[in-house]
Amino acid sequence: MSDLSTDPPREDDDNLLAAEYVLRLLDPAEEAAFAARLSREPALAETVAAWSARFSGLDAEVVELAPRAAVKAGLERRLFGKPEPTPFWQRAGLWQGISLASAAVAAFFAFQTLQPVEEPARAPLFVSEITAEDQSLRLLAVYDSAAGEVRLTRTAGAAADGRVLQLWAIAGEAAPVSLGVLPETAATAVDLPEALRADVAGLVLAVSDEPPGGSPTGAPTGAVLAVGQVSEL
Amino acid sequence: MATVQEIEDLIGRVALGDRKAFSALYDATSAKLFGTVMRVLNDRAGAEDVVQDAYMKIWRYADRYSANGMSPMTWMITIARNTAIDRIRRTRATVDLDGVAEHLTAPGPGPEQSAVAAGEARRIKACLDELEDDRGSAVRGAYLEGRSYADLADTFNVPLNTMRTWLRRSLQSLQECMAR
Repeated sequence: MSDLSTDPPREDDDNLLAAEYVLRLLDPAEEAAFAARLSREPALAETVAAWSARFSGLDAEVVELAPRAAVKAGLERRLFGKPEPTPFWQRAGLWQGISLASAAVAAFFAFQTLQPVEEPARAPLFVSEITAEDQSLRLLAVYDSAAGEVRLTRTAGAAADGRVLQLWAIAGEAAPVSLGVLPETAATAVDLPEALRADVAGLVLAVSDEPPGGSPTGAPTGAVLAVGQVSEL
Repeated sequence: MATVQEIEDLIGRVALGDRKAFSALYDATSAKLFGTVMRVLNDRAGAEDVVQDAYMKIWRYADRYSANGMSPMTWMITIARNTAIDRIRRTRATVDLDGVAEHLTAPGPGPEQSAVAAGEARRIKACLDELEDDRGSAVRGAYLEGRSYADLADTFNVPLNTMRTWLRRSLQSLQECMAR
């Protein structure tokens, strides 16, 4: 049993806990407690990332070993099932940088001409191009009705320093409903609340400028930077 | 071997659901991930399952990987390693390790600390060798083989608490050495 007085001082404790966490040395309860703190404490997450980077120097010692070809085939089967048509939001990825109108035309013809034998009951496709008037901020949104989520790709612009972008859905005259703060990554997906799923084509999506963590009031507090009507293709 | 930038681009495309990019990402990285997992599990059939699980997580969470200073290989290796360790420990539903991957790439952490640490990473070998004889191999065993304190205490034939005290001091010395 170690003498407690020789343990590292308290301020080093988080640093060492982070290293132990990366090494998976914590017992399950400690690990769970630490993981819970991580989501609340960005500084701690940063310490974890730094330890991961430090230990990554040892990855060079790992001998590369190609898995059998069957592993990849099995993986793709587990993920994608039998060969299927490309999911529609993947095609949406190709639309980056082109206007909604041309994308719509392209998608229309793709549907008409390239996929005549697809499953007949294809879910309706909803898209929205959420843009600033001056095009300084631009997002393409595609609604995946099967998953009930809106997939977003930001193709231009970003949050101002020290600010965040928050996404809102507006149904008719109703108050905007927050769909959450957008991450810094260009691509993300957010759940569309059940209540809004019935009439997706009637929605307007908007992005507002908000303080970190998002609007404190539940309604947009900053400038509305970009707006887009949802339409069915 | 693909460059960091190429792998990052592939992950970006995977985040958009691009299966071709996923296939290319797998081709470029699976030997490293499989090697990592084999080192922990030492069991080919188990490692094959784990590699599949790891790539399923990579597919699912690619959109949470952001270029925040964390190397994309470190991110993927971490997912593979943690999935392998989960398998050997079969811990009760403790921490969801998907969460771990998520934390590594949460938008919070800035690139600075990680970038500095990445610069230091090359020194880890020399610094481990500087530690008192057994200690370096204990750290190595924990990282590369996913060994627990109990395993390590057993191997080095010391009580578990002693092992923890040793290892924590070693980690401190390691960090100081790597920052020099």
